[in-house]
Amino acid sequence: MSNEYDVVVVGGGHAGVEAAHAVYRSGLSCALVSFSYETIGQMSCNPAIGGLGKSHLVREVDAMGGIMAQATDMSGIQYRTLNTRKGNSVQALRAQCDRELYKKAIQDTLKLTDIEIIEGEVIDLLSNKESVFGVLLADNTEVRGKKTILTTGTFLNGIMYTGQDKIQGGRVGESAAIPLSRKLYSLNLPMGRLKTGTPARIKMSSLDLGLMEEQKGETPTPWMALSEHPTEHQKQLSCYITRTNKNTHKIIKKNIHLSAMYSGNISGIGPRYCPSIEDKVFKFGGKDSHQIFIEPEGINKDLVYPNGISTSLPKQAQEDFIYSIAGMENSQIEEYGYAVEYDFVDPRSLNPTMETKFFKNLYLAGQINGTTGYEEAAAQGLMAGANAANKIKNKESLILERSEAYIGVLINDLTTHGVTEPYRMFTSRAEHRLMLGQDNAEQRLLIIAKKADLVSEKRINSFEKKENAYNTFLENSIIKRKVKSFIDSSGKKIDLKEKASIETILKRTDISRENIIEISDTGPENLLFLDRAMVEIKYSGYIEKQKREVLKNKKLNLKDIPKNFPYTSISGLSNEVKEKLNKTQPTTVGAASKIEGVTPAAINLLLVYIKKAELETLDA
Amino acid sequence: MSIVFALATPASKSALCVFRVSGDGCLKVLGSIFGNPPIEPRRFYHSSLISQSGVIDSVGVVFFKGSSGYTGEDSFEVYAHGGLAVMGSVVDLFKELDFDEAGPGEFTKRAFLNNKLSLSEAESVVDVINASSKEVLEVSLNSLSGGFSEELYSFSERVDTLRKFIEGSIDFSDEDYDFIKEGGVVDDISCLCADFGGFVNKCYLAGEGELKKMVLFVGPPNSGKSSLFNRLLGSDRALVSDIPGTTRDLIESEVFYNNSSFGVLDSAGIRSTEDVVEGKGIELTIAHIKDVDVVVGVFDSLCDKELNKIKALAGGKNFISVLNKSDLGVFNKDGLFDVLVSAKNGDGVTELKNKISLVSENAGPDGQKYFARSRHIKLFDEGLGFLEAAMFKLRSGSDVELAAEDLRFARASFDEVVGVKTSDSLLGDIFSDFCIGK
Ligand SMILES: Cc1cc2nc3c(=O)[nH]c(=O)nc-3n(C[C@H](O)[C@H](O)[C@H](O)COP(=O)(O)OP(=O)(O)OC[C@H]3O[C@@H](n4cnc5c(N)ncnc54)[C@H](O)[C@@H]3O)c2cc1C
Ligand SMILES: Nc1nc2c(ncn2[C@@H]2O[C@H](COP(=O)(O)OP(=O)(O)OP(=O)(O)O)[C@@H](O)[C@H]2O)c(=O)[nH]1
Ligand SMILES: [Mg+2]
Repeated sequence: MSNEYDVVVVGGGHAGVEAAHAVYRSGLSCALVSFSYETIGQMSCNPAIGGLGKSHLVREVDAMGGIMAQATDMSGIQYRTLNTRKGNSVQALRAQCDRELYKKAIQDTLKLTDIEIIEGEVIDLLSNKESVFGVLLADNTEVRGKKTILTTGTFLNGIMYTGQDKIQGGRVGESAAIPLSRKLYSLNLPMGRLKTGTPARIKMSSLDLGLMEEQKGETPTPWMALSEHPTEHQKQLSCYITRTNKNTHKIIKKNIHLSAMYSGNISGIGPRYCPSIEDKVFKFGGKDSHQIFIEPEGINKDLVYPNGISTSLPKQAQEDFIYSIAGMENSQIEEYGYAVEYDFVDPRSLNPTMETKFFKNLYLAGQINGTTGYEEAAAQGLMAGANAANKIKNKESLILERSEAYIGVLINDLTTHGVTEPYRMFTSRAEHRLMLGQDNAEQRLLIIAKKADLVSEKRINSFEKKENAYNTFLENSIIKRKVKSFIDSSGKKIDLKEKASIETILKRTDISRENIIEISDTGPENLLFLDRAMVEIKYSGYIEKQKREVLKNKKLNLKDIPKNFPYTSISGLSNEVKEKLNKTQPTTVGAASKIEGVTPAAINLLLVYIKKAELETLDA
Repeated sequence: MSIVFALATPASKSALCVFRVSGDGCLKVLGSIFGNPPIEPRRFYHSSLISQSGVIDSVGVVFFKGSSGYTGEDSFEVYAHGGLAVMGSVVDLFKELDFDEAGPGEFTKRAFLNNKLSLSEAESVVDVINASSKEVLEVSLNSLSGGFSEELYSFSERVDTLRKFIEGSIDFSDEDYDFIKEGGVVDDISCLCADFGGFVNKCYLAGEGELKKMVLFVGPPNSGKSSLFNRLLGSDRALVSDIPGTTRDLIESEVFYNNSSFGVLDSAGIRSTEDVVEGKGIELTIAHIKDVDVVVGVFDSLCDKELNKIKALAGGKNFISVLNKSDLGVFNKDGLFDVLVSAKNGDGVTELKNKISLVSENAGPDGQKYFARSRHIKLFDEGLGFLEAAMFKLRSGSDVELAAEDLRFARASFDEVVGVKTSDSLLGDIFSDFCIGK
């Protein structure tokens, strides 16, 4: 039996569903092949979407027609904005989700499409020497596609560890993708192993929440999606905070030799920002207490996710240390923590379109590229899906700049620098983060998304209406009005020698929001506009500077470095820099300039030597 | 590539100075900065050069399109009068237009990259760039007591440490750790600003490869400092008038004498003054005294109160007192002054030169001194500005993300010496120093 689609997506995780949905939106046919229908849209780890750098990605995915933000809003049971005391560009929304409802929201969304969902294990790629044209399932079905997108997450040769126990599988209770891993190795793709871990799941009713600090959600409850969300939120729940103590750490130390990660069983590198409790206790011995967030798994579920104690200790030791924690003495453990080790493909083998350099028509997205996190996966999935579709339609590739979107930062980092540990997004990775707020994703990306057929005319229209209203607000706004005195954010009245416009004052110092509202008598309907204007004015000087920086880098980014460039022959480069260039093999001069320790003079030399090489080949 | 400019003639006494500007898009400004903008390429036009504050100078201008000029990209040249004031205004104008000051070899590099030079010339380009990258280190050897790049490395490390705490506070705000407070960020940045300010003050402009002793002319208004300065230079560089308070900024030039050279600075006369602009000039004079090797006090009267006042200002510096206007019959009573001269007819000027070169040879450095290129000094100045901007924000506790941006820019001013710091390595520092994550 054989079926033929425009695009075949392998994997029903966060990358896979966004990829398939992007193909669907651009009007092409798509098959989504996954182990089981039931696990499509499954959150493997903690039941939360968003956070710093991550909500930025989610909003961008949303602005480009993706489904993650809306699924979050259909299942969100607690919302909190992080960094409320810092400026707008580094604020981020984080939402706890009901794990079941999230999955259901994703599955329901897919039901409304004509994406063909096929249950089964992909065991092989249909390929010749240079290109891929579909996949082979374990039951021998061939699913053919003009483009194939692999989003197999932690499943490629996945091995789960709990203490000394080790079983094959990509996620608890599920199998691993062994034959497919073997296939990829046989294609000589550059691959390696990474690992990650997850904590035990505990019955909520067995905890003494009274001993913990309650953390309520934010009110009024915000939305993750920028413009289209359900009319009402789900029931909102609290999280709770407790802490490990000296005794907890003593138990962990006593059992450390039994931990899968410490006994040398695992060779893969784990994420340093998601350390297991073993790592926390050993690498940071100075701290004798660590925070644990008790996160509800769902509205009707008697289960919590204790965020902060991921572990690969044996079951007995997990019980022992959990019982030592305040409020967790009588924990009933439903599922034990484990570490998982899996194959990933070096993302430097990808073009910025997510297509592999080595095989035509084969795209990779999500954790298979060495990232971690739902949001990172979703962003890549969307870009892979959109680019596969664009290629079929002979449209221009969809590549976002670092200055346009966190998605651009993500893909640029991956494809130029590769990964040394599971890659997670942070705002500090985005050098232009002042321009990349989670609130202005639509302003940045909607038009680009429209060009790639990812969003509807209707959405563009309502966006433009909003923008026009904002511009009208700005024109008539009192922001330009001049005042003789104002009140700063600490409540102090400041008298000015000379009248100045509110705009000018905002640029130089901080003026209280209430005061502006009062001076300008901005009505409640315009408050959102006022807030936006305040941010834009405040940042304007910095953004100008950043824009100049972008312009300067543009040419460098366009200048390609020939493959296997002989860096060692460049006289004047320090050995250290030569070695770094050799190791990184940047594809453009712009990428080279972003390697640690490289100086502007080194970049100048590189430019001259590239030119020299070009002239020499002309002469020859 | 960005638009760059450079002074193509030496930055010292000359009748004419030539500025070169190169970079695609640079021709767009012609219409707005020239009163009579050139129309045809490769033709010499006469025009006024205009900035926002008015006409700078009457100049010659010629432009080249694309491949027809030296660099192979759009470029133009401005031929202006060689006064330092004019040069300064032209530089300011170009900076306002967002042009960058060209690094060594920049024009040749561009010419090469745009196929204007042959392969055999490439090596020379490499040499220039190599020289410029080593220049920082050579400068440190030139410095009277080394340690230049070491100090810079340590400053850049301190910036990195601050950034570690600040980026940590932004990206890991839900950790139970107050990065800003525990990191002592506010105190540290204040100290860093003070220390780096001290470092910047120790950096002096290096002459063309050799150490240059600096000589500053000070004295009461109208005593003839500018006249004497011009006499030493043999040209009319400083504005001379019989209105006291004519010189308002420091005017600098270089004197070659007996195979050695020394820099001379003319200054505004010192007295208490009402004029705000002149007041600034005097502050500048006083501030500069600590930077120079020799102070020459110029007087036109026998008033020993004036003499002692200025001698006191000179502090421990080598001080030469000069009585001017000998042609008017003033005489050196009791040998109160070291030299008697007439700026007008040149009497005593040779003796003065001898004295200066003798004294300046013995003028030992007070404390440590670094000689750096003007480009680096400019970078460090900018870096200091960014650090201070960050300091104000951190002190007031608001706009942390903007302080972070200030620090990112501050760190970039060390790139030429230390190399870039990537966000990934910054994150790495955070992860290895703090127990972060869930
Ligand atoms: C134990 C564990 C701990 C984690 N801890 C964290 C954490 O602490 N922080 C964090 O940010 N992220 C964590 N994650 C990562 C997060 O879950 C993933 O980054 C994210 O889900 C990746 O999305 P994905 O779409 O790439 O892959 P996945 O969500 O893993 O989806 C892969 C999909 O592919 C399907 N599939 C795989 N192989 C085949 C095949 N051969 N044939 C058919 N279907 C196949 C699977 O059934 C699945 O639907 C953890 C994941 C696990 C498993
Ligand atoms: N006769 C005579 N006049 C002199 C001599 N030197 C300077 N003058 C005159 O003194 C006046 C002041 O000269 P400047 O050189 O401008 O004096 P200055 O000290 O630089 O003055 P400020 O910059 O205003 O502080 C001018 O009119 C000069 O022509 C000199 O040696 N003899
Ligand atoms: Mg004068």
